[in-house]
Amino acid sequence: MRGTSNKREILGTRLCMSGEMSSLEDIFSTNQCPADVFASQGIDVTPNGDRGVCKIVKQHGVEGEKPMIGDRVCVHYTGRLLNGKKFDSSLDRKEPFVFNVGKGQVIKAWDIVICSMQKGEVCLMLCKPEYAYSSAGSPPKVPPNATLVFEIELLSFRGEELTEDGGVVRRIKVKGEGYYNPNEGATVHAHLEGWCGGRLFDSRDVSFVVGESEDVDVPLGVDRAMEKIQKGECCLLYLNPKYGYGKEGKKEYDIGSNAELLYEVTLKDFEKAKESWEMDLKEKLEHAVLVKQKGTQYFKAGRYNFAVIQYQRIVNWLEMECGAGKEQQQAIQALLLVAHLNLALCFLRLREYSQTVENCNKVMELDPVNEKALYRRGEARLLRNEFSMALMDFKQVLQVNSFNRAARSQIAICQRKIREHHERDKKIYANMFQRFAEHDAKVGRLKRKKEESGISDQNKQGLKRPCLSQDGS
Amino acid sequence: MALEQLCDVVQRCQAIKDEGFSPEDYDLFFTAGRTCIEQGNSAQVLSILVDETNKNIVRCMGWNLLGPIVQILLKKEDRNLHHCHAILTHLLEVCSPKELLVGLLEQMEEADTGSITETVNLLLKPLQTVLLRMGMKKASSVGMALSTLLSQVARLPVPVTKEEEEEDACGLCHCCTALLQFVKPFVEEIKEGVKDNNRISKDNELRVELLKFCMKSLSNPLLEVQLKDPDTLLKSPLRDFATEILIILSSIGESLPDLLSRNVLKRREVPGFLEEEVRYPKESLACLSHLLFVDHIAVDIFPAVLSPIFVLQCNMEYTDLLLSRTEESRLQKGLALYEKSLIRVEDNSLPVDLLELKTFFSVPQNLVKVMTLCPDQTLRTKSLKVFQLSIDKFNTEAKYKFFKGMLKTSHHAGVEGYIIKNIKNQIDFSLKPCNGNDWFLGKHLLPLLRLVLCFPHGPETDLLQNLDRIMESLNLLRYLLIRDKEWENETGIWTELYKIEDSYLKPLRTGLNMSKAHYEAELKSVKENKKISSKDTKASVCTVTVDNEKLPNMTPEMQIQVLQSAVFTFDLIESVLTRIEEIIETKERPLS
Repeated sequence: MRGTSNKREILGTRLCMSGEMSSLEDIFSTNQCPADVFASQGIDVTPNGDRGVCKIVKQHGVEGEKPMIGDRVCVHYTGRLLNGKKFDSSLDRKEPFVFNVGKGQVIKAWDIVICSMQKGEVCLMLCKPEYAYSSAGSPPKVPPNATLVFEIELLSFRGEELTEDGGVVRRIKVKGEGYYNPNEGATVHAHLEGWCGGRLFDSRDVSFVVGESEDVDVPLGVDRAMEKIQKGECCLLYLNPKYGYGKEGKKEYDIGSNAELLYEVTLKDFEKAKESWEMDLKEKLEHAVLVKQKGTQYFKAGRYNFAVIQYQRIVNWLEMECGAGKEQQQAIQALLLVAHLNLALCFLRLREYSQTVENCNKVMELDPVNEKALYRRGEARLLRNEFSMALMDFKQVLQVNSFNRAARSQIAICQRKIREHHERDKKIYANMFQRFAEHDAKVGRLKRKKEESGISDQNKQGLKRPCLSQDGS
Repeated sequence: MALEQLCDVVQRCQAIKDEGFSPEDYDLFFTAGRTCIEQGNSAQVLSILVDETNKNIVRCMGWNLLGPIVQILLKKEDRNLHHCHAILTHLLEVCSPKELLVGLLEQMEEADTGSITETVNLLLKPLQTVLLRMGMKKASSVGMALSTLLSQVARLPVPVTKEEEEEDACGLCHCCTALLQFVKPFVEEIKEGVKDNNRISKDNELRVELLKFCMKSLSNPLLEVQLKDPDTLLKSPLRDFATEILIILSSIGESLPDLLSRNVLKRREVPGFLEEEVRYPKESLACLSHLLFVDHIAVDIFPAVLSPIFVLQCNMEYTDLLLSRTEESRLQKGLALYEKSLIRVEDNSLPVDLLELKTFFSVPQNLVKVMTLCPDQTLRTKSLKVFQLSIDKFNTEAKYKFFKGMLKTSHHAGVEGYIIKNIKNQIDFSLKPCNGNDWFLGKHLLPLLRLVLCFPHGPETDLLQNLDRIMESLNLLRYLLIRDKEWENETGIWTELYKIEDSYLKPLRTGLNMSKAHYEAELKSVKENKKISSKDTKASVCTVTVDNEKLPNMTPEMQIQVLQSAVFTFDLIESVLTRIEEIIETKERPLS
């Protein structure tokens, strides 16, 4: 991935290869003003052609492969002031610099020039202060109104991962506006095109509520991406099966099991839902009841991922609320308890057992002897092969309700598993001890040989011993 | 006596095979051994321990003696200190690392504030030796050790002045330096892996433990520390500590720019990633950002190509966190971070879209809280300065939207007055040649003016409490009427005037007359009362309680003073109001 060693070679060969101006060092070592060099050889890459950013390509990259907006790009660079003073270099740090291009994370000149580069390209760039740090400078390294010169190599780039597990990757075709994104519960109006293996299977204008895209047959990944998409943005979303139509596939669209999908999404408009901090407790409680119903509806339909979103909203709203008066307090607690209990069940179905345990624990903070929570935690632990802990949970279920038959049979299963486990251990260890014994015997034999050959050493220690015991008496 | 006991138990144990020592043996060995050491017989204990025949015994039970040995070594009184050192060294070589670790950490934990530095001094090297002996399975033990060490070190008082840091009386500087030495080999181990084409995974246990250590160091002690710049203090151990922590972070594969933008670029969390807040506490990241942008620490390993607006956006998260606290050290850091982030941005350049971000709403709210409620005068002044700086950085449209938002949400007459003064400055700027814009002239200005020139509670409004706001509003109005000629009407004020007269000036006039009459009457009655009561000497007019504590009674003199100053205030308002009424009248005359 990080071709540091590679880079050295490239820079090395380049020096020999190119003719007149090879690197920053060369530009600064000649007596020419760098600005003049760029004026004569540089290409203006600014959109409005004001020559604020000029570049000289020193080594061409792979034809046709340019980063898209939002891509995670990986570069090596060196930056200098016009007087030749180096103010920053990723090469000195021996670590490439990685960022999302085209999103205003870096100085303007960089967003412009990187988008013009091909993979593997090396270029020199001169940028005017308006495209860099303007009159403010960047203390303590860059003075006010400084024109900067960079040498940049574009090492690699890839789409932006929108989820922690990398299941949704985005590449932006047209940048949207503002810093304003839809949130959970917002209503979005978008144009979607869905592709599967090069086949367009869905193309339509659609409106849905974020967190409920299932209602209009839009897969989870598109729904989850919405919070990161801006108004007017057009982007490609690469979804892995978990975020697409999953194992079941989708008959209507003729999509088989575990298919990867590609969506092109244009977010035309949206209306934001109120944020948690914009709602008072009464509103939250009212909404929570509705959201709970929605969650249950998804759960019954087997859409566990969507059910999780709904129940999680209740937790987010109410977790930090304490409520005024007993009635409100009870209402909050009741809703939180149900939300966690249902989350536990959803995660059990999704095979996210640690999440199940986590949510059951939350329930038990509110109600330490909750039968369902104990039972579900037992199930999760059993499935995680934590037999004795599962056993304890099920036994506690019986303590709470001695008529719980299911718990009884689970206990039997736990005990059987524990027994099996023991047997297996025994087998393994039996062999192991046997092997150890053999090993020890071997070592013992070797040792004896050694001792016989090193008697003199032993004698010294022998002398020491009586001496010590005298001290001791 | 104890020595005999020790010899007895050791001799008995020599006969026991397969390390099958009984709990009684452990007990006896420990009590006898401890007594021997405490009585100064460490030389003899040493000779028993190093005896090859006792190797098994020492390996199993020896670590029990750590406690007594460490205590003696800490006291430094014993004549046989070198024997005790030798015992410690021997135990470190022979006993099982796991038990040693537990023993050493126990000693570390037991240290009270006075002896932390000594204990760290004595035990760091042994701890390191033990951990290194553990080989590949040390990660969780390293984590445990680092967490114990840091919690102890964090208990030490932080030096405030330059002299205090140089003197290092409580030893924090010393301990921090020692900690760096301590983690070095573990960092090296991970560093090798990171350099070697990322052989180390993000979830490598040792890496995670080091990450936790760095994060914890950032939140405590570093967030508490006010670093001195090199001009003030050339050699600062705390600055070195901070620098080194950032270097460690970067060498274990945590990119500093990624850490900075963590909260802004947060990815969608999926179930199973609970650790985010645990691994990257926001408070630690706030400290990191302060080190980078205020103290300019580790500038060489931080890329100088980030856009100032992006940096500001990231730092808003941390400013918000720091300013939401009440501790003065946090507020100070929050203000400094906000100031430095703003300075990097050009004047009039922040776009209006930014105000859509939650932090651009909550930071000013917190700033207002500091300006109005913070007990510390310098912080209040500073926050006002930073508040103005933030206004200066917005572009025209953003300023407009910001003012509007502040007028609606600040609920503080002083702040509102300040905003109104800013509005006046903006209008003044816009009326100058070539500065014309859509926001502080013409149709957009009127809705803003309506927010300024309003009187939501009508004539009953408490004029004294709203004085700042009322005075600034009247000043603004007077300015507009004088500056913007009726035939030009660039601001639109002249078309709006009849509405303002009805909704603002008239109720204000009524309120003013009412208040004035009321206070003048009150003043008169108090004065009369005073004449009567001066004969009775004692007379309290009213009592004031603050926090259940009764303030001294107000004497009639004090009351007269208060009432008098209120009446003066009304006169002040009236003078401006009258001036405005005159201007309006002269303009209206030619029409009528």
